[in-house]
Amino acid sequence: MLLVVGGRVCAGDIEATVTAPSGEPLADAAVVLEPVSGSMPERHSTVTIAQRDRELVPYVTVVQTNTPIEFPNQDPFKHHLYSFSPTKTFEIKLYAGKPAKPVVFDKPGEVALGCNIHDWMEAYVYVVDSPYFAKTDANGHARITDVPAGSYRLKWWHPRQKRAVSARAIEIGAAPMSVTQVLDVKPRVIKPKPPADKEKY
Amino acid sequence: MFRSLQRRIVVVFVGLLVLVMALMLALVTRSNARIVSTEIQRELTAGMQVFTQLIEQNQRQLETAATVLAADFAFREAIATQDRPTIRSVIRNHGLRIGAQAMMVIHPDGYLIASSQDSNEPSGSALSPFADLLSAAETAGKSSGFRQMRDGRLYQIVLVPIYAPKLIAWVAIGFVVDDRWAHDLSEVTGLVVSVVHRGGTGAGILASSLRDAKRTELSAAVKEISSDMPGELHIGNEHYQTVHVPLGKETFVALQRSVEQAEAPFQTLQTALWVIVLAGVVVFAIGSIMLARQIVRPVNELAGAARRIEAGDYAEPVPLKSSDEIGQLAASFDLMRERVANREQKILKLAYEDSLTGLPNRTRFIEEFNRLSDSSHGAVVVMNLDRFAPINSALGHPVGDRLLAEIGLRLGSFQSGSNLVGRLWGDEFVFLLRDADRAAATRFAESLAGALRDPFVLDGQRLDVGASLGVALYPGDGRDAATLLRRAELAMYAAKQLHSSVAFAAEAGDEPPHEQLSLIGEMREAMARQEFLLYYQPKLDLASGQVTAVEALIRWRHPQRGMVPPGRFIPFAEKTGFIRELTPWVLETVVAQLARWREVGINLVPAVNLSALDLLNPRLIDHMRRLIGSHSLAGGALCLEITESALMEDPELALAHLNELAALGLKLSIDDYGVGQASLAYLQTLPVHELKIDGSFIRAVATTPKNAAIVRSTIGMCHALGLTVVGECAETADEIAWLVANKCDLAQGYGIAKPLPAEEIPGWLAGYGARQRHQA
Repeated sequence: MLLVVGGRVCAGDIEATVTAPSGEPLADAAVVLEPVSGSMPERHSTVTIAQRDRELVPYVTVVQTNTPIEFPNQDPFKHHLYSFSPTKTFEIKLYAGKPAKPVVFDKPGEVALGCNIHDWMEAYVYVVDSPYFAKTDANGHARITDVPAGSYRLKWWHPRQKRAVSARAIEIGAAPMSVTQVLDVKPRVIKPKPPADKEKY
Repeated sequence: MFRSLQRRIVVVFVGLLVLVMALMLALVTRSNARIVSTEIQRELTAGMQVFTQLIEQNQRQLETAATVLAADFAFREAIATQDRPTIRSVIRNHGLRIGAQAMMVIHPDGYLIASSQDSNEPSGSALSPFADLLSAAETAGKSSGFRQMRDGRLYQIVLVPIYAPKLIAWVAIGFVVDDRWAHDLSEVTGLVVSVVHRGGTGAGILASSLRDAKRTELSAAVKEISSDMPGELHIGNEHYQTVHVPLGKETFVALQRSVEQAEAPFQTLQTALWVIVLAGVVVFAIGSIMLARQIVRPVNELAGAARRIEAGDYAEPVPLKSSDEIGQLAASFDLMRERVANREQKILKLAYEDSLTGLPNRTRFIEEFNRLSDSSHGAVVVMNLDRFAPINSALGHPVGDRLLAEIGLRLGSFQSGSNLVGRLWGDEFVFLLRDADRAAATRFAESLAGALRDPFVLDGQRLDVGASLGVALYPGDGRDAATLLRRAELAMYAAKQLHSSVAFAAEAGDEPPHEQLSLIGEMREAMARQEFLLYYQPKLDLASGQVTAVEALIRWRHPQRGMVPPGRFIPFAEKTGFIRELTPWVLETVVAQLARWREVGINLVPAVNLSALDLLNPRLIDHMRRLIGSHSLAGGALCLEITESALMEDPELALAHLNELAALGLKLSIDDYGVGQASLAYLQTLPVHELKIDGSFIRAVATTPKNAAIVRSTIGMCHALGLTVVGECAETADEIAWLVANKCDLAQGYGIAKPLPAEEIPGWLAGYGARQRHQA
């Protein structure tokens, strides 16, 4: 999801491209710009990670700290959503429909989400202290728009990355910029998923 | 060894059986060994497959169990939250649930989070035995294998990931590989299952289905083998075929099959076979011995019968027991025995029996005699028929033969256990009286004479046959058959001469000289060879000076001895009875000569000497009658000279015969008068015509007055009785002159002529006539 923040003059766009070491475009990689100093606006629109067709959608979600995320269950049966990640440990026990209240991700870091009754269901939430972030599409492209000019730390993240990539400083001006990054990731472990029956269970 | 048929049969039978059985045993043993070997290989291969499958199956079950455990929410929560006490508690609990002896939780980075094994295990220490399993699991998502743990025990370990939902840890579940494990697998695979660890220090047994002593022996044996060289392994005294299944770098499973156990059922079979073979050989040996006996016994019996026949015993029949080939052979053999026996009987009969009378012959007699023991005693009696030769010559040989047969029949009754009756030859019979003494022999001789006293009747003709017997007693008179026979014969001749029926060898005197014996023997042959011939000595009529008569004198021109004078053989011819064959020949010859002389105009009265035997021969009269008849002899044409002694043997019969002879017109002359005891008174009762004064009186009559007186008176008396007188042996002219002067009628002797062959007579007569005329 692309966040467009309007405001001061001289706001710039940044175009990011992430590839695997082989040169293949890498999807689901997060690109984050953290301002080196000064405050930043907090915009907390509710984000949704749905459970549909016994999958968590989307696979990767990037949010700013303190963003509440809703986990609506669109399947006709219950799910048991959990996270043992230290960044945000929670458990929504067997439920159907939409839980009573969304989960607020109040610490930066990564969170792995799973379903206790469907082992193959997994999703990742990357919580960052910045409103300026984006996620690569299937072509490995991501765009962050309307970033105010200034000094930022450029950070990269992927849920299956083998090593964390260290952040680097970047100056944002009025002119659009483009950055590229190579990320080495493990292949996704495809856990066996039984095909849905006639009632889609 | 194989000379006996029976042994050969047994050896061949049993040998063949043993050969067949040995081949069979060898075949069975070989194929058993092959079957055992193949079977062991098959069992090992199958066992190995089963074993491998079981291990895999085990592994999958363990994985499943581990996977289920790894999905447990609380477990995952405990791991994710790094709650170590909880994690340990969980793995202990879950270990119990699935029966795992070892459980560990390992961080994805390879360090140990928690272990059920050792509570003091420092966290973060690397697990070297698992590093390879871990890397394999990272690639494949899971892994499993056998690893020896720190406690020295071997574990089957599975390693599965724990996702929450990303990989947060590995859980390792270990099942101990112990004897029980090996035993369970052993039961399923049917093989001995042992787990062997080969480290740098040597080999050790980690687990085995073998127990106690065997297990100890295995651990000793296993040091010798290498993992990549399976094959046969000796454990104690048992042999095991072994295959290896590797469980890890230094660990392998030895799957083993006992060769002895695999062989056991075949051993039973082989033992049974051996029993059958041995029993078979014994049964066969007994059977073939019995069969061979059945075959050989009749053959042996046949051989025994053959030996008996060979030895001349034909009496016992050949045993006939079966109808098979040997039985047929025995039957033929028996037939052969009968025929040979019959033929031998016939041959014996021919050899030992006189064909005419059926009595034993000389050969048989001698054999019987030789069979007597040296200490035995008895008598040999030789019997010669009296008057047989005249019968034979008068009635012909066929009649003579029939008479002999009849006599043989009669004598046969004297045959008994102790007495043997045989015929020696011609009319001579022999008797062997075993255990007889002189008295017994005498009694026997008497009864024999009695038996012959009854006349024989042939074709209505009555024939009287007398016999003379000679007895030789053994061992007194001799010990061998030849001597005894000879002495008995001599005794017999003596009896004949004495006109007694029996004489004993002891009294008959010694044997004649050898030459005489041989002459006696040769006389019969001489007759056949015409070695006898007649010389004629003229008798001079002293009154007329004419030769009017001749005396036929027999000579024997012997091929080796030359001329044998009558004095050398006539006595024996008389003794042996041969004279009875000789006299008829002389008569025939003289009569024939008389006819020839007549043809040339010579008229002489020939004189023939008759012996006592001749004179007493009952057939003499018939013979003379036939002779006179056949040659139409006139009365007085033939003269018979008879000695005094001949007359004295049987005076009555002699007289009777002389009367008959005189009646036939024969001139009868008394020979050798003066040497015997006959008186002129007796002589004058005889129908004789002439008297020949013995030469001993005539010789020197001219010079001896005494002789002259006897001769002169004898001549006177003879003339008074109407007898003519012949002076014998007149050798000198004086003697002849004396005889002429004393009115002797005839003279004979060298002074007139010596005996001359018949063909010289006419020439001599002519010459004598001429001389007389010349002298006159």
